[in-house]
Amino acid sequence: MAAVIPSRLAALNRLRCEIFQTSYNPTSVRTGAKYLRARLRGPSMVQYYPEELTVAKFNRMPGSFKIQDWAEYQRLADVEEKKRRGKGAPKKAKTQGPNFWPMMHIWRAIL
Amino acid sequence: MPPTARVLRDIKARHGVNANEILRRAYLYVARNQTLPAQVRFQAQLQLNTFGRYTRPTTVKNRCTESGRGRGVIGEFGLTRYQFRLKALANELPGVHKASW
Repeated sequence: MAAVIPSRLAALNRLRCEIFQTSYNPTSVRTGAKYLRARLRGPSMVQYYPEELTVAKFNRMPGSFKIQDWAEYQRLADVEEKKRRGKGAPKKAKTQGPNFWPMMHIWRAIL
Repeated sequence: MPPTARVLRDIKARHGVNANEILRRAYLYVARNQTLPAQVRFQAQLQLNTFGRYTRPTTVKNRCTESGRGRGVIGEFGLTRYQFRLKALANELPGVHKASW
């Protein structure tokens, strides 16, 4: 088979692009077209986890019909019970105490 | 079982990606386009860098839809290997049954 002249091949490619309406890019310059061509992945990403209807979600929905959330009721009751026995969450610190940055002496030694 | 913090974070990332995807794509197109002037491309890249952590698709991880575990997830079912086994043995996965020969 006779060798084909490169300029003839290039001309063929250009003609082919013209006919099939694709962009002629002989030097393979990156045009970023693949970012526009690719499908959007967001809509399917959002649907990955199945929607779960909880009592709290139901109660937040519009309408007057509400359900008693027994788990939440029990949790609040337990918190109250713990507070009554002096086992509640500690108060937030208003000022920086001596233990505000516990690793300070170690950092001092390093720096 | 209520979703763990990691699952909630993943859901947040998924919504962030969905909300910012088109804008990010536009900036990506400009930044990666070699036919545009370098200064324009650089500006687009700087804009891309201003997007938050939870707008990048690589932040999203397919976790187990049942237990929230991030490892050993069988993609086709969205379950970890153990949850997959439990559900398969309980005949909750159509077409899946235990091999025996």
